[in-house]
Amino acid sequence: MKRYDLIVVGAGPSGLSAAIEAAKRGLRTVVFDENEKPGGQLFKQIHKFFGSREHRAKIRGYVIGQQLLEEADSLGVEVRLNATVIGLYQDKEVVVKLADEVVHCKGDAIIIATGAAENMVTFEGWTLPGVIGAGAAQTMMNLHGIKPGQRVLMLGSGNVGLVVSFQLLQCGCEVVALVDAAPKIGGYGVHAAKIARTGVPFYLSHTIVRAEGDDCVTGVTIAKVDEHFQFIPGTEKKFEVDTICLAVGLSPMSQLLKMAGCKMEDNPRRGGQVPICDAYGRTSLAGVFVAGDVSGIEEASSAMIEGRMAGIAACEYLGFMEKEELAAQLASQERALDGLRQGMFAPQNRGRAVAETEEGIAVSASLLRHGYISDDEIERFPGITHRAGVHPVMECTQNIPCNPCQDACPKGCISIGANITSLPVVVESAECMNCGMCVASCSGQAIFLVEEDCGDDTATVTLPYEFLPLPAAGTKGDALGRSGQRVCEAEVVGVRSAKAFDKTNLLTIKVPKEYAMKARFFRSMHN
Amino acid sequence: MSNVIDRSREIGPYIPAPDDDRIICRCEEVTQGEIRRAVHEGMWTMTEIRRYLRTGMGLCQGQTCGKLVKGIVARELGVPMAALEPATSRVPMRPIEMRVFANEAKEGGEHE
Amino acid sequence: MSNCAEVVIIGGGIIGCATAYYLAKRGVDVIVLEGSDHIGNGGSSRNGGGVRQSGRDPRELPLVMYGIKNFWPTLSEELEADCEYHQDGNLRLGKSEKHRQILEGLTERAQKAGLDVTMIDGDEVRRINPYLSGEVTCASWCPTDGHANPLTTTLGYYKTARKLGVRFITGENVTELRKRKGRLVEVITENNRYGAGSVVLAAGLGSRELAATVGIDIPMQPAMLEALVTEAQPPMFDQMLGTAEADFYGHQTKHGSFVFGGSSGLEGFTRDNGTPICYSKTAPCICRGIMKYFPHLADAKIVRTWAGWMDKCADGVPVLGTVEEVPGLILAAGFTGHGFGIAPAVGDQLAELIVTGNTTVDISALHYDRFRAKI
Repeated sequence: MKRYDLIVVGAGPSGLSAAIEAAKRGLRTVVFDENEKPGGQLFKQIHKFFGSREHRAKIRGYVIGQQLLEEADSLGVEVRLNATVIGLYQDKEVVVKLADEVVHCKGDAIIIATGAAENMVTFEGWTLPGVIGAGAAQTMMNLHGIKPGQRVLMLGSGNVGLVVSFQLLQCGCEVVALVDAAPKIGGYGVHAAKIARTGVPFYLSHTIVRAEGDDCVTGVTIAKVDEHFQFIPGTEKKFEVDTICLAVGLSPMSQLLKMAGCKMEDNPRRGGQVPICDAYGRTSLAGVFVAGDVSGIEEASSAMIEGRMAGIAACEYLGFMEKEELAAQLASQERALDGLRQGMFAPQNRGRAVAETEEGIAVSASLLRHGYISDDEIERFPGITHRAGVHPVMECTQNIPCNPCQDACPKGCISIGANITSLPVVVESAECMNCGMCVASCSGQAIFLVEEDCGDDTATVTLPYEFLPLPAAGTKGDALGRSGQRVCEAEVVGVRSAKAFDKTNLLTIKVPKEYAMKARFFRSMHN
Repeated sequence: MSNVIDRSREIGPYIPAPDDDRIICRCEEVTQGEIRRAVHEGMWTMTEIRRYLRTGMGLCQGQTCGKLVKGIVARELGVPMAALEPATSRVPMRPIEMRVFANEAKEGGEHE
Repeated sequence: MSNCAEVVIIGGGIIGCATAYYLAKRGVDVIVLEGSDHIGNGGSSRNGGGVRQSGRDPRELPLVMYGIKNFWPTLSEELEADCEYHQDGNLRLGKSEKHRQILEGLTERAQKAGLDVTMIDGDEVRRINPYLSGEVTCASWCPTDGHANPLTTTLGYYKTARKLGVRFITGENVTELRKRKGRLVEVITENNRYGAGSVVLAAGLGSRELAATVGIDIPMQPAMLEALVTEAQPPMFDQMLGTAEADFYGHQTKHGSFVFGGSSGLEGFTRDNGTPICYSKTAPCICRGIMKYFPHLADAKIVRTWAGWMDKCADGVPVLGTVEEVPGLILAAGFTGHGFGIAPAVGDQLAELIVTGNTTVDISALHYDRFRAKI
């Protein structure tokens, strides 16, 4: 039987990272993936990632996927696609479906990195065509170039719901509402804010009553829920939609482990049924490791580190690395992982109400409730300062592990400091040169360059813009506030695109100066 | 890990609910009402529910409905969801044609 | 609640559940102790669903014939559960002269025992089941055999027995049987003790170890069998199928899926890691076996495979009935992979035995004391 040093199941962020670490140290490694394209979810992630440089922050997910594939390839990792591992048997044997045959092979070590699948919720009409998972919508848009629908309602305000809502907007869909039964937004505030400012309404403490339609979705009714998640009669709202997108969490795809007799636990904090494993992915089956969402739902950046750790642990297990080196290697990966598991959204804070930032500033209640920071809340955050001339305004108000902005500014105008989750502050002594690098570097699209008084009763606001068509200079239209409401007339006075901006365009709009701190999005007249 | 469970414990009667006709397992078209009734007939584990009603026995093998069924059973029994062990996973991870499963490759690509 | 009952049944499989049901129907107070978390978790949920008389040893044939006559036809109504019983015959298929000889031997033996079985040729076989390949040259045909759904039947017995007041306790792993003053009166579990007027030992493979705690040995050992199920197919045929070489057996279910059981030839030698885990070579082997007989099914998708332990008795038939050396003990084990079809009759007859001291069907050939050295 064909024998490998290491068999990795799943060519997503964790599986590829694991294979890279193993191949680097000489393990004969194969990666099987059932999909026709590698990368797992990475190739659907067209947004820039959070984190620090070591986490590949501000790089778009699909580019990270390409980088991982190239690295794996250069190290001689065999990546087999359209290769479904249908079973994990005794003695670390896998049976793989490849074209019209099944192949048996064994690994001295196996890393299961099969990821997760989407959860569903039920409501009247949930089985109608047109009710789809958010991940499915993302696959349609970003892998296959298919628009999932025209008018979409999104259920779920976690990062998946928020990111996919933004992508639906980018794809030209109308997102009629973003709905969540929880009383506050689950994902990053900056992700919510970039949707809210385009005019998408958020309905927290609401959920779907029913999907309307006979043969397919033609509408949806939502209603407010009380603290016990029971509908409050009389609060129903109806929307005409052709698509209902569900972003209600993920479940680990841990079936291979379970069928092989691995010790499992049902852990709601990890998203469901997961293998019992240590910090480096070692399971109850000797030589079988896990990494990524299959061992607990997190996100791609931590999955990559978990993959590296499992890969390193497998190297040591098979004698390709000494114990002493193992400790050093794992320690550095753990530091990187700890860096990601910080701040308000860290695993240990899940489900907890965080009232204040690490700096002792009250969090924006409006952001959590409506998706945007209200005008009377914004001034209390350290990224917001006022001065003559162009200067950065950083509407970054939650402690998340992300710091590319401080390195982006060549003049040193922005500081986060050693603590990666600290809110960015403006360095008063530094002089902004209006280069726009900070705007493009912010994965949350939360940095604006503002000149509050241009001397003629106008102000300019430079904002990140990732939509098509790109308005030309001279285009007239409306400036929208953080809530997505029209605040005033606006005219595009500058459009900047540069390789260094990595596909984020910078739009500079001119508005009456009293709107300098209110105008945050541009909608051209003909829209 | 086995827990001693007396199946005579009183869980109250089955009370019909207006949404009992809602399909929960799409592959096998099992409704919420059928699941709820089965609990009151004594099917107290995910495995028993699956064997009795076929929930999770279709093409998706419970990937979609597993958590949904579990939520209904847990509510009916008055226990936390985590107290119910999901039904077993089986080979194959994805449905596979008999002729493909039968066609075992030899090393070097030849067939037996 | 008191931990005493007139009868304590060890094992919540189909034998235990059926016995409990027929006892409760006769007004007996019963507790069933199941060691795993689930009712019917052993062979009861893992078998191929055959309700067969043909191919059986003459010693157990009267019992299964009694069950097919008296219980199976009305079981769904009785249990208020769809047991999916079909009595559309059993074809045991052959492809060679050697197969024909095996089948003729089986047929002759069954005919002597009074069963309606005949040998038929390949054309006749394909008149009964047009989907069979031209490779099939002969078969034994028993029109009164059939198949049913082991899952709903087992759980149906459980459900109905529970409704009649039988107390089922799962996760209750029995460790010891204990005699007092010469009679078996107590069942000891990891956590509790149960008092009993009689104890029915129907714990499958585990029965051997438990019987040993009162000095009784049932000569049986494990052998792993595997089965698989396809996605639903259009209705094709209703017969139960087997082969002379026993390379597979199975049927199409009411749901449309095909359930096939089979083996790789390595049964009894497979390793396990605590749970019956499939052997990687078996399912492909079963598939190849099926396709030789049913080329039509080549594109049907397999959705699940599973494995189960068979309690293989030294002489291939169960050990059933009272044990003179241990008054109060009733054995029901060693069914050797064909305990499903016979279960209603076993449950009813054991209930009759406990209540009246006699059985309608003579089960003396299945007595525990029957094992003899070969010379």
